[in-house]
Amino acid sequence: MLEILGFEFFRNALIAGVLASIACGIIGTYVVVRRMVSVSGGISHAAFGGIGLGYFFGIDPLLGATGFTVATALGMGALQLRARQQMDTIIGAVWAAGMAVGILFVYLTPGFAPDLFSYLFGNILLVPRGDILLMGVLVAIIVAVVALLYRELQAVTFDPDYATVMNLPVERLSLLLLVLIALTVVMLIRVVGIILVIALLTLPAAISRLYTTRIRSMMVLAVVLGIAFTLTGIGLSYLLDVPSGATIILVSTLAYAGALGAERLRQGD
Amino acid sequence: MTAPVIEVEDVRVRLRGHTVLEDVSLAVYPDDFYAIIGPNGGGKTTLLRVILGLLQPSRGTVRILGGTGAAARRDLGYVPQFRTFDFEYPITVREMVLSGRLGHITRLPRRYGAEDHARTEEALETMGIAGLADRQIRDLSGGEQQRAIIARALVGDPKVLLLDEPTVYVDAPTAAQFYGILDRLRERMAIVLVTHDIGVIPEHVTRVACLNRRLYTHDTNEITPDMLEAAYHCPVDLIAHGVPHRVFSEHTEEE
Repeated sequence: MLEILGFEFFRNALIAGVLASIACGIIGTYVVVRRMVSVSGGISHAAFGGIGLGYFFGIDPLLGATGFTVATALGMGALQLRARQQMDTIIGAVWAAGMAVGILFVYLTPGFAPDLFSYLFGNILLVPRGDILLMGVLVAIIVAVVALLYRELQAVTFDPDYATVMNLPVERLSLLLLVLIALTVVMLIRVVGIILVIALLTLPAAISRLYTTRIRSMMVLAVVLGIAFTLTGIGLSYLLDVPSGATIILVSTLAYAGALGAERLRQGD
Repeated sequence: MTAPVIEVEDVRVRLRGHTVLEDVSLAVYPDDFYAIIGPNGGGKTTLLRVILGLLQPSRGTVRILGGTGAAARRDLGYVPQFRTFDFEYPITVREMVLSGRLGHITRLPRRYGAEDHARTEEALETMGIAGLADRQIRDLSGGEQQRAIIARALVGDPKVLLLDEPTVYVDAPTAAQFYGILDRLRERMAIVLVTHDIGVIPEHVTRVACLNRRLYTHDTNEITPDMLEAAYHCPVDLIAHGVPHRVFSEHTEEE
């Protein structure tokens, strides 16, 4: 299957897979250790609202999703910090409302929404060059921010109360983390689609947690695993001619199940 | 008399329509070992959270070393109630203790310097956990985790150490060892200890107060029956609770 590497679309798919895996491994680590899986699910489904708005106003749906998702993440964070509402209720509301906004605007947009399906379920084999560039920029931002604020983010995700006593800007750091999650989610939309984002965001980090003792090493291993899963998924989906997003997710889930099983056996000794 | 390190004045806290603290005033001096006792739900943790700036009181003021700003709080060391944060978090003991220095680093981006690392090793030595420095906190025993949490509080060079129910989940020998450590720390800082268990008040406390929405103080290290009765709203059998005789007032009688 090496001759396939000669095609630009396939090379783009591989690059997109690697870029997405880097973002996933780094941000997914925080999502897993801070137990923000459902928050991330809410943010990713809200992204559909942005895609609907993008269609309606005639801008790149992914750009619409970026703005809308970041705004949603900030709104959720502010509600959690100020209103002290029950977070799972907020998540449920945002989750459904985002989807509803998307459906409404796609309906209101005259004509046919051509690749709506690929936003929902992803199609990494169709990632255009422009999106690769956008993904590259987002990855650079994520890596730079985390490298710069590694210690602060560790303190805030580990023990927010103590971080507050130490006079760290806990509120701003928490919101920043939500924004980073939002940006990562947007990147993943192209790869696996809105519905499946949550699995690629959390599974590599969750497996990595089993074998690492520190945030730093957990991130590195999660990135490596993510790259392995996406590349395997892309290859399999090409060979078997099945949807790429679903294949990547199933590869990741099988690996997770395998890792949990192996861990169980190891601890049984 | 030296100035107090903590001054709580006329604090009232209302949470979800209930008054949790009312007219609470308290002064902690540099050489104090202050024990605050009271029943569960009496507002002990709330009072600590107000002192730490984690909760805004509806009324009243809190001054740390004379200042009210958030920056003054970096002179407080906090040992939260055991298991209030996630012990599954992937962090080594050394990283956790080192993170206690972040409050002292003001230059951005925050980076640990030689001083921070030296202080961390010192705190690990003080708490006798230097050998566990590279282990994950989730792999430690309860007593070891407790020491790691205290080491994190010590590494910031606090003027006051605030402890919230520090011995609830550790066994008796570990608790005894723990109070031995506190006795040594007393020379370097004031200590405020909060507990619902009047049986664990260590022998070297300088002052005791009872908290049940209001604070009942005596400015001595004796628990008096009227304090207990006011705080617990029922006669308390001191002997049955195993309170050592030295904290009794002379006229205390067994029920």
